[in-house]
Amino acid sequence: MLEIRNLTKHYGKQIALNGFALSVKRGETVVIMGPSGCGKSTAIRCINRLTEPDSGDITLDQRPVLTLSSKELRELRRNVGFVFQQFNLITRLSVLDNVMFHLVLAGTPKKIAEQRAWAALDKVGMGYHGHKLPVNLSGGEQQRVGIARALVSNPQLMLWDEPTASLDPILVGEVLEVMEELVRTTQTTMLIVTHEVSFARKVADRIVLMDAGRIVEEGPPQLVFENPRSEIGKKYKRLIAS
Amino acid sequence: MLHFFYDGFYRDFIVLMLVTIFVGVAFSSGLAWAVDSHFGETINQMIGDHGEYDVILHVREEAKEAALRELERISEQQFPGAKLNETLTIAGQSNLFFGFPDQFKTQETFAGLPSIFNGVPGLNGYTVITEPSILIRGVHPSVRVELQERFAAVAGVKFAFRDGLNMLVLLDSIDDARSVSAEIKQSLEEYQILELRFPMGFEVDTQQIAHDVIDLLSDKLGSKKIENVSSAEYGEDLDAFLKTLVEMRSFLLSYASKVRIEAIPDVHLVVGEQIVLRGMGDVDPYVADEYADGQVIVEVTSVQGAEAEGMIIKGSIFDATDILRQDGFRMRSGGEIGHHIGQVELENERYRLAYTINESLRLLEELEELAVEASLAVANADAIMNTFQEALMQLEVLQIQMRQLSEGISQGGGQFGSEQLLVSLLVNGLMKNLAQGATGGVSDDSLDSLENLDVESMRLSLSNITEQITRVQEIDVKAIIAQIEYVRDSLPQLDDEEIGKSIRLINTYLGGQVIPGERVQLLVQNRIIDEKELEPQIREALNNPYANVYLTSVGMVNPDVRSELFRVLQEIRATIAGMLAMVFVMAVLILDHATIFSTLKWVRTNKKGPRGRLRKLCNPIIGFGGFTGMVALVSIYLFSRAEIPYMNPAIIGIIGCMMGCTIVVFAEKFSPIHSNEIMAGQALGLSDVQIMREIVIPVSRPGLLNMLNRWKQRF
Repeated sequence: MLEIRNLTKHYGKQIALNGFALSVKRGETVVIMGPSGCGKSTAIRCINRLTEPDSGDITLDQRPVLTLSSKELRELRRNVGFVFQQFNLITRLSVLDNVMFHLVLAGTPKKIAEQRAWAALDKVGMGYHGHKLPVNLSGGEQQRVGIARALVSNPQLMLWDEPTASLDPILVGEVLEVMEELVRTTQTTMLIVTHEVSFARKVADRIVLMDAGRIVEEGPPQLVFENPRSEIGKKYKRLIAS
Repeated sequence: MLHFFYDGFYRDFIVLMLVTIFVGVAFSSGLAWAVDSHFGETINQMIGDHGEYDVILHVREEAKEAALRELERISEQQFPGAKLNETLTIAGQSNLFFGFPDQFKTQETFAGLPSIFNGVPGLNGYTVITEPSILIRGVHPSVRVELQERFAAVAGVKFAFRDGLNMLVLLDSIDDARSVSAEIKQSLEEYQILELRFPMGFEVDTQQIAHDVIDLLSDKLGSKKIENVSSAEYGEDLDAFLKTLVEMRSFLLSYASKVRIEAIPDVHLVVGEQIVLRGMGDVDPYVADEYADGQVIVEVTSVQGAEAEGMIIKGSIFDATDILRQDGFRMRSGGEIGHHIGQVELENERYRLAYTINESLRLLEELEELAVEASLAVANADAIMNTFQEALMQLEVLQIQMRQLSEGISQGGGQFGSEQLLVSLLVNGLMKNLAQGATGGVSDDSLDSLENLDVESMRLSLSNITEQITRVQEIDVKAIIAQIEYVRDSLPQLDDEEIGKSIRLINTYLGGQVIPGERVQLLVQNRIIDEKELEPQIREALNNPYANVYLTSVGMVNPDVRSELFRVLQEIRATIAGMLAMVFVMAVLILDHATIFSTLKWVRTNKKGPRGRLRKLCNPIIGFGGFTGMVALVSIYLFSRAEIPYMNPAIIGIIGCMMGCTIVVFAEKFSPIHSNEIMAGQALGLSDVQIMREIVIPVSRPGLLNMLNRWKQRF
């Protein structure tokens, strides 16, 4: 479904991605892990071109992503859900509006959009908070709204950019539960960037370990965490053992 | 960057620009108009409605009440129905408005304004403000009458009248102002005053100069309409005053004591230096001593090598009869005496003058007495001459008688012997004595010469002398003496110190003045003259390289007082409009455009990541901001008819551009954007225009952009 080849990205003199390549099958849940600054977030942001790569090639369902026109790119983005580390909710809009407004702007009738939004909110356990403003919610709740917003358009690919990294450890659990549930109950292809090793072991079909802008090891969780070949894998193994 | 506008935001932006310009024009011109109309109303209240008043009388504040009473009396007795009003009092001067009734608004009335108002107590002058009128300033006296007749004949003109150096043309209607003004300007342009000025010190025959230049111009321009209109009436007061000062300085310099300085070798004197001498006092100056009373201080006025001239500025030599020759010493600041500089010679001119006058008076008095004495002497001489002539005649008779007697005795034949000899001796002796008594001891020959004496000629000489003495006596010597005494008493009673101070004071004044020289004014009609081209030709023709040529008009059309005030108000309005336009554009750039600029900057940065310094400098958003500011400001400035002095639209454009660029640079500070929300919008597949309308603008600062966006905003 998703093919990434030889992706490179520089931030000034710093290399974020250095020949990154990844292939993801439809319905697969791939968890990308690695130390901070290794290029995980950059990699998944390049997929829907929130960050423009310097070079490389990305195809999604056989469509070359990097050469899409603005209109085509917008179409693609509507089919790719994205969950941000910082939630990125529109603070002036209510929870319900946050979830439905892009549907309405894309042309979905308001009523239908509203029904779908309520359904998405119910799915993440936030139906009760639909008319609240994001500032009145906890971090975990805001992230669940962010997840609902990504889900509401039934995307074929979900990109998760460290969804629990900004949360208090107490609140991390409620978000991870929602995510686990989604992985279990939906057939959506998921590409998750996280540091949550236990969560990764539970939900991932495949673990991808990155270091210095490239993949250093990948494989099923059992293989990567129990018999790691890379230094990063070994560190994770030690972490799990401790 | 333009990509950001493609998907629809360009329409929003164009609408924003149009509304910005429209509101900006309304704001700046509206507020400026409000200010304009407020002040206009104030002026109307101050100086009345158009045509309501004709004259402003400037009266001393303390005499205002009396002046008002007098004006009321004038109004009642001479101009029933006249309007009178009191307005501002400025700097101790009250201004009273006087309006003539319509039937009295005649040429005779305005021509007679000085006589009408000369009895107003405390009057310092007046200004004619009658309307509708056209004021022509500085009408040259040579064409005043001619122009007055011409202007009076222009259609739409009631009459024209002189107001000092100016001329006022009263109109039938304000609607005629433009056409009449154009015609007057055209008439004025037919004349030019060609003025030749010569520097001070050039004594020229102005009549001859005028004649020569007229010949030159006639040849050159082929025009006979050139005439000499040099006049002392035309602004000559200052010239005359300055000339008087120069003459007075010359007089004082010649009247002051003469000071000649001979410097010793190695001493170099400079003009303005002060030298101290003993003067008429008892204390000799010595080096390092202080200046003492009685000593004289001299200021050097000119230096030629080792010799210099000066004038006394302190002390006096008023009673010095002879030339004084004394040692001079430099005067240092602080009153201390410096080094010896040489010999100083002082000559008291005033004493010499006074001495000469007194001697003249003495001479005249002596002359009068001399004439009387001479007259008596001549009379005596005449009497003596008569006596002498008689005596001479008697002598001659006696001589004849004696000769006859002698001959008679001789003819007697010697019969008497000794008696005869005795008589003969007596007669001869007597005759000798007579002759000696008459001539002072002369011989027979002398007696003959006495006989030959030209007594008549002598008498004639005496008579001539008598006539001359009589003529001398006829001279009114007493009157001459009285006049010389008057002249003597009229001479300034100034000592050297006072003269020196006066000269310095005159020099100080003249130092700040351009001293006019001779001037020739020629009226040239129906010819355009290029003064720069003409000047060298005139200099050559007159053989005078210092002649300066100027061209002036014979008058200048000025708007009337009200028009002038409203013109000033118009300028104020235009300036205020310009400043408001700037303020408005700045506000719009901060409140509205800063949001767009900061979003554009974020999009640009996010799209390709951080850039090099060169690419940051070549940021097209800065250019876009500059263009936006320029378009907004120039449009508002022009449409609101703003006009700030010294700022043309190009400068305004540059200012607008700089404002726009500045706002771009600091856009995030004026309008911070929520980049997370924009990124969410992008991730959700929103177009740029949707991101702007739904995410960026709703949370931007309140302004036109925010207000306009509400029509399109869906959430």
